Amino acid sequence: MTGMFASIAWRNLWRNPRRTLITLVVVAVGVWSILTFDVMLKAFGTSSRETSLRLLTGEAQIHAPGYLEDPSVARRMPTPGGSLLGALDSPLVDAWAPRVRVPAIVQSEYRTRSITLLGVSPARERTVSDMPAQVVAGRYLSSDTDPGIVIGQHLAEKLKTRIGKRLIILVQSSDGRLAETSFTIVGLFGGTQGAQDEYAFTSLRAAQGILGVGNDVSEISLFGADDANLDGVVSALKSAAPALDIQPWTTLSPMAYTIETFSQTYVGIWLMIMFVLMAIGIVNTQLMAVFERTREFGLLQALGMRPGLIVLQVTLESAMLIGIGILVGIVLMLLTVVPLLGGLDTGFLAQGMELIGMGQILYPRIDPAAAAGSCLVVWVLGIGAALWPARAAANVDPVVAMAEL
Amino acid sequence: MRAGLTILMLLVLSAVPAMAAPAPDATSILRRVSENYRSSSSQATLAMTIHRPAWERRMQLKSWTRGEYDALVRFIAPAKDAGNATLKLGRETWVFNPRLNQVIKLPASMLSQSWMGSDFSYNDLARSNELVDQFNHRLLGAEQVRGRTVWTIEAKPKPGAPVVWGKVNVKVRDDYVVTEQVFFDQDMKPARRMQTDEIAPLGGRPYPVTMTMYPLDMPGQWTRVQTTAGQFNVSVPAWLLTLSNLQNPRQ
Repeated sequence: MTGMFASIAWRNLWRNPRRTLITLVVVAVGVWSILTFDVMLKAFGTSSRETSLRLLTGEAQIHAPGYLEDPSVARRMPTPGGSLLGALDSPLVDAWAPRVRVPAIVQSEYRTRSITLLGVSPARERTVSDMPAQVVAGRYLSSDTDPGIVIGQHLAEKLKTRIGKRLIILVQSSDGRLAETSFTIVGLFGGTQGAQDEYAFTSLRAAQGILGVGNDVSEISLFGADDANLDGVVSALKSAAPALDIQPWTTLSPMAYTIETFSQTYVGIWLMIMFVLMAIGIVNTQLMAVFERTREFGLLQALGMRPGLIVLQVTLESAMLIGIGILVGIVLMLLTVVPLLGGLDTGFLAQGMELIGMGQILYPRIDPAAAAGSCLVVWVLGIGAALWPARAAANVDPVVAMAEL
Repeated sequence: MRAGLTILMLLVLSAVPAMAAPAPDATSILRRVSENYRSSSSQATLAMTIHRPAWERRMQLKSWTRGEYDALVRFIAPAKDAGNATLKLGRETWVFNPRLNQVIKLPASMLSQSWMGSDFSYNDLARSNELVDQFNHRLLGAEQVRGRTVWTIEAKPKPGAPVVWGKVNVKVRDDYVVTEQVFFDQDMKPARRMQTDEIAPLGGRPYPVTMTMYPLDMPGQWTRVQTTAGQFNVSVPAWLLTLSNLQNPRQ
């Protein structure tokens, strides 16, 4: 029975190929834009998060209480030991790195700038941050006691200095004294201009030495082993070190979090707009089709076909039409996105992208479940919209209909 | 007769070091320079001219110092700047702005900022002994300028010293007044030059009363400081170098 209706519906669709094709194009373009936007915006969101987290933030950070409000040398904590070290080395945590992080002044012969000085443990730093890999000239720090300094390429230009030259770093040491130390530049890093101007890296021991803080650190940055269970990791660390301030990235880097949430909302809004446009197209063409076929529906009813079956007949046509449109849309989306899976270089947008903390290369990922969800929503709502022309077809009075010429 | 001989001997003996003086070593020359500037306290009136290619500004200020680390500087003219004051006690620095009527403690990060828009930083004002302590010195030569000996000394930073300069060339007149300092960058290119324009007796000692700083990477830009009046080793009352006097000046 349904098989018969389906084959009738299929034949009906192609009785007016031009009209059917127009509706197909409307649905296909709509679905294509929804799916492609979804993929691209998710890539934006992920890139923004990754760039931000792999810069220095990590997925979570541990500080002494008050450090986030006043990042001075006084807000420090001992190198992790005991239960905190146990929690950090547990399988819950994928990677962690200790840092000394204080405001500092850098001086060259010509210029003076405010920066943030980071004393890092190079081997551990590489596991939580992409900064070591962004060295574009010279080298990164080699060990925990490396006497050199790595600064941003752009900062080096501003300071009119280069690799091999000395810089003076001024910091307020733990006894309140202004400590001045000379460091030789061993490497320059690239990446976002903001980071280049903001950060300078020395080895952990060198920074601890000039600050006079022994083995104390300012910050621990870490990545959890399981993305989905970050809250669990944070609460495990909190119970291991109740006196310390432990925050996930969602509070440390609210901009990245907002962008990620925003892109999801944006896709939702886009889906709604596109759907309304598609629905107008579908309802309009289907209504036209139904009016043209008034005599046919009148005849069918006169032959004893019940209005319910006419609704079913017309709805089936719409379902097929929208379904094919969705399939075409998916194919179009794949044609657009698959060539970009290797990475989309947005260098031409670099400055604007940096402003919102994104990397230059986006890596789109197709999420089949999300795509299927969007398609299903479009299909079901599309069929819902098509009920209107279907009801119009069922409401035809056979006598009036057959009297028409 | 015997007494006369002793006096003669003493004269001769005392003349010996005097005759040996023209060839002292570079480090002791700079140490003498530093001692020459130093005093237990001072009070001075200064004029500062900031020159830029497009404009020039002249300000007048009074300064008081006590020991090596404590100082108060107050601007007295023009009216726009009058009342701005900087107080340095030991390692801490405060600024007072009369329009805000507020005292702000300068964070360490501000110390290397330009002082009142000049070519001097807060740090420049504070760093006095660096040239003696952080550098190795070498006497390059001596020349006669208007009948006086002027030594040229090359100062290179000691290894690990917190100094950005590649070297500093200092010219010192034989009365231990610095006549010129040229700061070279680490490529040994001159980066800035401090020149003494006028030496005059001040408070009983020869003093560089007019000095000009030229940042050599900024052509047409300089800052000149003129000491118009000054006294050394005066008594500075205890209340003068205090936060309360910074905000509500009694003098």
